[in-house]
Amino acid sequence: MPLFGKSQKNPQELVKGLKDALQTLQNPSKDKDLKKASDDVTKILANMKVMLYGTAGSDPQPENVAQLSMEIYQGEVLKMMVENLEKIDFEGRKDVVQIFNNLLRRQIGTRSPTVEYICTRKDVLIALMKGYETPEVALNCGMMLRECCRYEALAKLMLNSEEFYDFFRYVELSTFDIASDAFSTFKELLIKHKMLSAEFLENNYDQVFHNYQSLLNSENYVTRRQALKLLGELLLDRHNFTTMTKYISNPDNLKLMMNMLREKSRNIQFEAFHVFKVFVANPNKPKPILEILLRNKEKLVDFLAKFHTDRSEDEQFNDEKAYLIKQIKDLKAPEES
Amino acid sequence: MSFLHCGCSKGRVSESDGPRPYDRSTYTALPNDRAETPVKTDGMSSSESNSIAGLEFEPAAACYELYTTIGKGHNEAANINLAKHLTSGQLVAIKRICLETPGLDYNTLQNEIVLCQTLHHSKIIPHYCNFMYCQELWTVMPLMAFGSCRDLIHAYFSTGLSEQTIAYILRDILQALEYLHNRGIIHRSVKAAHILIGANGKVCLSGLQYAYSMIQGGKRYKTVHSYPDNAIQCLQWFSPEILKQNLAGYDTKSDIYSIGITACELGNGQTPFSDMPATQMLLEKLNGTKPILADSTTVADFIVEDDINGQTVNEETKAETAIFQRTFSQHFHNFVALCLEKDPNLRPTATALLGHPFLKNLRKKTTDVLPGLLHPVTPLTDASRLPKDNSVTEQLTDQMSSVTMEDDWLF
Repeated sequence: MPLFGKSQKNPQELVKGLKDALQTLQNPSKDKDLKKASDDVTKILANMKVMLYGTAGSDPQPENVAQLSMEIYQGEVLKMMVENLEKIDFEGRKDVVQIFNNLLRRQIGTRSPTVEYICTRKDVLIALMKGYETPEVALNCGMMLRECCRYEALAKLMLNSEEFYDFFRYVELSTFDIASDAFSTFKELLIKHKMLSAEFLENNYDQVFHNYQSLLNSENYVTRRQALKLLGELLLDRHNFTTMTKYISNPDNLKLMMNMLREKSRNIQFEAFHVFKVFVANPNKPKPILEILLRNKEKLVDFLAKFHTDRSEDEQFNDEKAYLIKQIKDLKAPEES
Repeated sequence: MSFLHCGCSKGRVSESDGPRPYDRSTYTALPNDRAETPVKTDGMSSSESNSIAGLEFEPAAACYELYTTIGKGHNEAANINLAKHLTSGQLVAIKRICLETPGLDYNTLQNEIVLCQTLHHSKIIPHYCNFMYCQELWTVMPLMAFGSCRDLIHAYFSTGLSEQTIAYILRDILQALEYLHNRGIIHRSVKAAHILIGANGKVCLSGLQYAYSMIQGGKRYKTVHSYPDNAIQCLQWFSPEILKQNLAGYDTKSDIYSIGITACELGNGQTPFSDMPATQMLLEKLNGTKPILADSTTVADFIVEDDINGQTVNEETKAETAIFQRTFSQHFHNFVALCLEKDPNLRPTATALLGHPFLKNLRKKTTDVLPGLLHPVTPLTDASRLPKDNSVTEQLTDQMSSVTMEDDWLF
């Protein structure tokens, strides 16, 4: 695949050329320079990508890869690429993503040098998260972010940043591509590293669930459905026991789930069921929760008996449903009120 | 495809559900919108006329008026409507997928949409924008008013298209494939139903929901093994190595095999292997049986083997005469034979095929010749005669608002 000229530049030359061209893009002096700089950036990025990935016909050269990575770290090029992503052209941006993701996976023994490097440069991560504000680069940033999410140290930096809460806004954007991509990243951050996310949810319970409520009440069907599904996954994960206990003690949460059981969408009903069941299965129901369940005892039993009866092949679901019906039937008012 | 007056043909599925490059005019809400990025790279992409210059397609249902259904996609889960963009009056196609459809995989859908936004090539159908309306995902795309090549064959060219028409179409499709392959993407469903033609003769490749990237997790793989989900509908076009599903895997060359099958489909009017059960087709492919173009030079093969086109030919003597009186060029025959090599290493790359004598001498732009070549078929350009479809929006809003209140919980 002889895409680019035969004269392969060496890693130093590539990195230097890229830095120069990016600087011109950052501070343009004359229009002419700008066009040339933009072309240079695209060309050099494509070359770097080939150096890291090889081509259909040739494998990458380990010495070149090592040297290129060194030059990129030393020249602070990752940061420059991310911060100027908007100024790079369409194909160039995709190459930035692939260069970034390749370097991130790089390992020397058990060490991941790129991950360590980014740990000391949190602003790279912040810039990537802010990328969702700019439609042109949103999906590119998403691809790099999800690659970062694989590393606990990086996920921790992101979760604990203020910018994390911007995700609650991004997932509601009207453009489906960006909103759904932002949700994937959001989900990855909360699901991937169990201990980390359990600790985060415990420590930030109020702020997170206050915001989460707006997703569950969203006008947007996909947001509502995805948020509900993720909520179910989070609450049913044993690592999140403390958070779960807190969540199912709040009667407002129970009311919301009961209403969602009655939504028009069967998918939403079904996801709501998986959260609702936790309230009922709780052996130590707080009084307000118990009262709501008691007040609706008959209705709930009727409702559940008719709920998704066509899922006859789903054994686990039917067992759970039978269990819930029994639990609700057996509910008794507290002895002293 | 009612706009092609072929509503009865069984293959009327115009799976225009492809993908599209990234159109920046899509996003209105956020700043920094201007400055068309010059698309360059290996010279294959140009922003020719994918997006209508200066038009903004808003991600909101209220900005479009739906007309009649012109196709289906995604295993019937998607409905494709002709629609009018209200602020510009521009006709577009809108693909609507109800996300409540049982068995629909949300992740696949999302991957497709993201992949499509990372492609930008004039011969790949763009998505203007994607947004939710009630429970439906709407994708706004350009209207390809001649429909798909499959539609054209079913409605008008039952014995196949002319050699010149095919040459222009395949050249453009190979340009799209060259773009994809250079980026490590395998299309995996090249077929006539995924080749769309616009009113001006512009050719676009669609069907990118089945595409697969050979670059995963920071690494470029030489072969991949993922067996496509859409297998059933594409078996006839799949290369032997995909069908084998063995450790050797497959790569971008499997698309070249599909090009060969598609070339026969376009030339003969019928897809090779369509007259036999899937297991027999598999055996034939593994044995190295090469489908061929039906014309005066190959008539002997068809009589001897009586396998490939036998049935239709026997039924319709007229069509038979037409087929066996024509003569395709040796270049065309050779092109098909190269694409259909059983050994993927013997098949040329997309780039090499663009230099094949069959395509090398095409001097004109496809848009200059194709409408003439398709004469007397005319594309749909006037929506005013078509029925409007207000029911969709009404139904959907109904669905959403009428939450049953009679039997409420007691809180």
